[in-house]
Amino acid sequence: MPDDITISIDGVDIQTQPGKMVLEAAIEAGIYIPYLCYHPGMKPFAACRMCVVGVEGGRGYPAACALPVAPDMKIRSEDSDVQQLRHSVMEMLIAEHPDGCLTCHRIEICGPSDVCLRHVSVRDRCVTCPKNERCELKDTVRYLGMNLESPLQYKYRQIPLEVSDPFYDRDYNLCIVCGRCVRACEELRGDDAICFTDRGGSALVGTSFGTSLLESGCEFCGACIDVCPVGALVEREHKWEKAASVERTICPHCPVGCQMNLEINSLGGFVRAIPELNSPANRGQACFKGKFGLEFINSRERLKHPMVRRDGLLEEVTWVEALDYIAERLPNYAGDSFALLTSPNSTNEEHYLAQKFARLVMSTNNVDQTSNTQPELTGALERSLGYAAATNPIWDLEQAECILVFNSNVTEEHNVVGVPIKRAARKDTKLVVIDPREVELTRYADVWLRPAPGTELLLLGGVLRSLIDQGLQHDDWLEENCESPATLYYALHNLDMDEVSRLTHVSLKAMEEAARLFGEGGAGSIVYALDNVPSSLRVDCVRALIGLSLLTGNVGKPGAGLYPMRQGANEQGAWDVGCLPDRLPGYRSVQDADARAEVEEAWAGSVPETPGIRVTEALEAVADGRVKAMMVIGDGATLTNGKISDDVQAFSNLEFLVVHDTFAGALSDIADVVLPRVTFAEKDGTFTNLERRIQRFRPAIQVTNTDARPDSWVICELASRMGGRGFNFLTAAQVMEEIANLCPSYGGVSYHRLDEGGKLVLRTNLDSPQPTQVLHAGKEYPGLQWPCSAEDAEDTRILYAAEGFPPGIAVLEAPSFRVEDVADDADFPSWLVPGRVLFQQGKEIEVVRGRRNHIQREEQVELNPVTAAALAVQNGDRVQVRTRSHRDNAALIAIVRLADGVPEGVISTTTLFGQLAEAMQTSSEPDAAAGVAGLDICRAAIVKIE
Amino acid sequence: MIQVVEEALAQHGAAATVSRVGCIGLCYAEPLLDVTLPGGPRVFYGNVTPAAAAEIIETHVVGGAPVERLAMGYIPGPDGVDSAGGIPETVASLDSHPLRAVETKIALRNAGNIDPGDIYQYVANGGYHALNRALTEMTPEETVEQVNASGLRGRGGAAFPTGTKWRFLAGSNAPVKYILCNCEEGDPGAFNDKAIVESDPHTLIEGILLAGYATGANAGYIFIRHGHDGPIDRAREALIQAKEIGLVGQDIMGSGFNFELEVALTGDSYVAGEESALMEAIEGSRAMPRFRPPFPAQFGLFGKPTNINNVKTLAYVPQIIANGGDWFASIGHEQSKGTVILCLTGDLKYTGMIEVPLGINLRDVLYEAAGGVPDGKSLKLIQSGGPLGGVLGADHVDVVLDFEVLRSAGAILGSGGIIAADEDTCVVDLTRALIAFCQYESCGKCFPCRMGMSHLLEVLERICRLEGTLEDLALMRKVGENMQAGSLCGHGQLGFNPVSSALRYFGDEFEAHIVGRTCPTGVCLKPKFSPALTRR
Repeated sequence: MPDDITISIDGVDIQTQPGKMVLEAAIEAGIYIPYLCYHPGMKPFAACRMCVVGVEGGRGYPAACALPVAPDMKIRSEDSDVQQLRHSVMEMLIAEHPDGCLTCHRIEICGPSDVCLRHVSVRDRCVTCPKNERCELKDTVRYLGMNLESPLQYKYRQIPLEVSDPFYDRDYNLCIVCGRCVRACEELRGDDAICFTDRGGSALVGTSFGTSLLESGCEFCGACIDVCPVGALVEREHKWEKAASVERTICPHCPVGCQMNLEINSLGGFVRAIPELNSPANRGQACFKGKFGLEFINSRERLKHPMVRRDGLLEEVTWVEALDYIAERLPNYAGDSFALLTSPNSTNEEHYLAQKFARLVMSTNNVDQTSNTQPELTGALERSLGYAAATNPIWDLEQAECILVFNSNVTEEHNVVGVPIKRAARKDTKLVVIDPREVELTRYADVWLRPAPGTELLLLGGVLRSLIDQGLQHDDWLEENCESPATLYYALHNLDMDEVSRLTHVSLKAMEEAARLFGEGGAGSIVYALDNVPSSLRVDCVRALIGLSLLTGNVGKPGAGLYPMRQGANEQGAWDVGCLPDRLPGYRSVQDADARAEVEEAWAGSVPETPGIRVTEALEAVADGRVKAMMVIGDGATLTNGKISDDVQAFSNLEFLVVHDTFAGALSDIADVVLPRVTFAEKDGTFTNLERRIQRFRPAIQVTNTDARPDSWVICELASRMGGRGFNFLTAAQVMEEIANLCPSYGGVSYHRLDEGGKLVLRTNLDSPQPTQVLHAGKEYPGLQWPCSAEDAEDTRILYAAEGFPPGIAVLEAPSFRVEDVADDADFPSWLVPGRVLFQQGKEIEVVRGRRNHIQREEQVELNPVTAAALAVQNGDRVQVRTRSHRDNAALIAIVRLADGVPEGVISTTTLFGQLAEAMQTSSEPDAAAGVAGLDICRAAIVKIE
Repeated sequence: MIQVVEEALAQHGAAATVSRVGCIGLCYAEPLLDVTLPGGPRVFYGNVTPAAAAEIIETHVVGGAPVERLAMGYIPGPDGVDSAGGIPETVASLDSHPLRAVETKIALRNAGNIDPGDIYQYVANGGYHALNRALTEMTPEETVEQVNASGLRGRGGAAFPTGTKWRFLAGSNAPVKYILCNCEEGDPGAFNDKAIVESDPHTLIEGILLAGYATGANAGYIFIRHGHDGPIDRAREALIQAKEIGLVGQDIMGSGFNFELEVALTGDSYVAGEESALMEAIEGSRAMPRFRPPFPAQFGLFGKPTNINNVKTLAYVPQIIANGGDWFASIGHEQSKGTVILCLTGDLKYTGMIEVPLGINLRDVLYEAAGGVPDGKSLKLIQSGGPLGGVLGADHVDVVLDFEVLRSAGAILGSGGIIAADEDTCVVDLTRALIAFCQYESCGKCFPCRMGMSHLLEVLERICRLEGTLEDLALMRKVGENMQAGSLCGHGQLGFNPVSSALRYFGDEFEAHIVGRTCPTGVCLKPKFSPALTRR
């Protein structure tokens, strides 16, 4: 930390550090200097000249945002010459920005809800600006206290509004060309979907060539909206509504754990979500799901009352009736004929209570979380290194010199993790992508290895072998930190590299290059998921990836992380608190008698010994009658949308099914009891994100129009009705106390610490007449990254850095490198490999402009020339691609293009992200963001259409 | 024209070499054709038409006798004045031409004399000798020292001492450093950069190589505005030739000095000539200036230390190294050393490009070298240093050309473009045209310039329509002064110059438009082309 230096601003001495800019230093000291183009978190731009200041002994009026602090600097910010300069710039701005909100004579007497219809022409009227009263420009004018009588001629730009693209409206009549949006897109997101257009007095912002956002490469993350100081960019939903209050919460769509500020209107309804700038997990970023996919909170389709099925029909009942009904029947299924499935957006406390309920009250280990379909993702991590979790923080990825992304469509499924990856790749970081699918990150990759489906493991073997062939392994580090890699080396030396290359369809040169990039850099990170990896190979894939990290010494240091991309928002927390069929809280094995005894003592009850069934086995267990009763909390869709099964009827075998969910679905249609569940926005609790960060959130919204209740309440009520002891919790904080007692990693976690740990971050002087720019002022809640073993212990940013490996040294599990033998499928001989990208060059895209823009294009499939020859199709032929999937009856009709890069037997196709955005926008599903389909590889057949 | 010449030669079966050369400076007489018979002088013919060309080929090239009626002058052959034998007495030596009489040629020494497409002609005229000397006899420090001793100052407009600038870069230990050459040259009325690149690209390349050697840089770009096709083609061609014979690339002249050089282009943008915008453009971004600090010498192109020099500045360097800094310092005036290349355009008898020693009186240049205003009209004003340079009233042209003197006179030498305007010119209309240019060429980044230019233009258009008010003058002053104080780069900071200088010298003409509701010259009364207001 560099030494503090002192500068003075208008005579007030403040302490700051070299390297900061004057504006930054002022903001941190609570001194307000007006600004429009500056935005915390972005590089200075020095365009708006609002932050000009005078410097004693200096020439001219430099912009404070781009003026580095120097010792004993004396800044003048409030002097009349400085203010006069600001006034004159503002005067010109106002001359091209509708200003009825400032100049209307009724301004003093108009109430917040008054509707004015006469006093100002319609386009200048305050109520026709979607940002009225949350506009930074207006607030800056007020701060400057200027006279708005100006001799300058007012000019309205007369530009038609852009309202046809998904999710947000653009009104460039209100734009002040501060460039925040352009810079956010480029600098913060690495997308470059929008740019400056034209120049001189007509310089504005737009897409290049004026295209629709659907084809500009926009990923609809909303970062541009979040930084827009005026009403030029706004969310379309609730465009005109103002927030009565703002509440911090955590997005429930994926395990990144983005802190979001929910704006709530005076009726208690959700208005819009703005990602929190001071959140260490997302740093002010969100994605299309979090930004535009939380509207379901307000949905009228939410389940409102408990219902019990009588005579085949669901009847509304009171909670007491419903709970009594359940409590009466459940004891009949005590033991392993009952299974409890929790939701990925249940809180840590709820997961804990759910597993406690299953074990203590229902005497079964049949408890799992619906998103936990790939336990292999972290199983090997725990065995090799010690903890079943990502080793490093998300934004640590920016420190990496090489990032390997393995089979993860990260820009869609964990979008904000994609942000540091893209940002790093645009700088000097090398990016290696291993994926059979053409996902967005392949565009940023230095090397994209594209294995034939099912050969991913073998390809990893090839890369590892190439790594040691090039002598890039860190022998010294290995010797000190890891058990002998001899078994792994043996397995690698047995690989026939030519055969590897042939089977994977990846050239030896490409493997060498990937190994070199990963091995040569100082710090290498691995982001991996197991999407589409055959289940028999999953464990070995993870072992190989861990091997890659260990061989290169990439564990326990900054920039060298292993990131398993879990699926559910709080899947990590579910694991941590023991909501698993084979684990008790704190990763204790159910089969370990000592561990069980510890838990039994804490609970004063007995815990069953046999591991329960996993969510992936649930359906089978129902079918063969092992499980007769089930309670499904939330996310019932996962059970019926193909992720686990698509056969709803299988569940009708159940004798008793309780569904506790927010929306009706296929599962609640056959349930015996349906309970309305609150959304994340109405809950109190904690989530643990994929970087092990435990973050607290509070109810942002009061439940008004439904009688929905949280899981914790339902479970505790049921438990007390069924005679369970130890469920008398009044608050979530009390549950956390019990978790902390039982889970060593959570030992030091308490609500007190989570709430008080945050420091107050000032964005501007709270006393200044600056409501909007103060919007960002607030407490920073960094949460705690486990392990945090004691009340006075620090949390752990990077695992294995200081303490080393819990097993002593890292365990190197050697995988057996192989391909999955797929039985020849005569009906569907090929693989259909879908991809999705933001923008596609050289492929015909037509955007049909209309009330809603629509992408119309002829789909294309890419085939290897060898495959094409075998199928007797040629470049330009029209083909029909059929898959086995029931849902996808509508076959894909496409034009063939031959491409050497496509492995043999693969039909590669890409859709545009714009198509997904369009589909999400027009979806009739209440929670459309949760239903966004992934990119699943499946068997397919291709037929030429004559 | 070339085609006519070649056809005529073929028709007569004459064995002559046709060279296309660059600009010799006599722009008013273009197209120029000159004929050199073996051992004889170069005889020049001006304003040649195809018919005249055919006649010259027939009479002079084939017949051996100069066409007296058409010849405008001669330059003695290699054997000196005596070789002028065979020249009719009515044909004078070209060196006595007013435009050429005042010249001292350093940067333009080869312009119009050698074929720019042939590197060997450059070498034969002493080219790359300075580079050889530096690489073999001098250390980089000594090279910088020579440039420093020469007193050379940047010719791009700011007149910053080149030696000092080089020293900044030489002092950096960064492994990658860049030398950039700025040939954006968007000023209307300035064409000396283009002329150098077009007429003698190798003198520029040699200058860049010397700069690279002196500062320890190992790569460079010649940045040429998109659309300057002649200079682009010539520079590329010259680079290919220089690379072929090992003058650019690895281990130059066997000295171990490496320097990679490329031509970079930008879209049509005036502001791209601003040094930081230029770097943005080379990096592939929109050409918008960066804020400073950090300065290019610390954080320049691709974040590496960078030095940016104008074409003219670099073109002086080979001669400075060849002849020594003291030699260069002996030319010029006080703190302004060396020569200046002036582009004389507008209402002048002889328009052209001349290289004159600094310290020469501007009045002499205008009235003697350029022959004054034609058609018996009187000079009203000159506009120097590009649109941002402002105007200078005819009464004030009695100044010596010197960076400091001109600056105190309210004008800038800038790029060296001098546009003369006669009494028929309406100052208000001219100012409007200059501001229209500035407005259109503003990059749109910083608020004062983006909006201020538009407001200035709006007011000027109003005054031109004879609808202005006296308050408009105060308004322009307010907007303009705030642009000066508040803008990010020189475009906005200097953007008020055209208005302020016009008001200073011709305030009464503005008043005539506003109070008298009339245009003294009548220009504003006639319908005229007016660029559409680009402000939305």
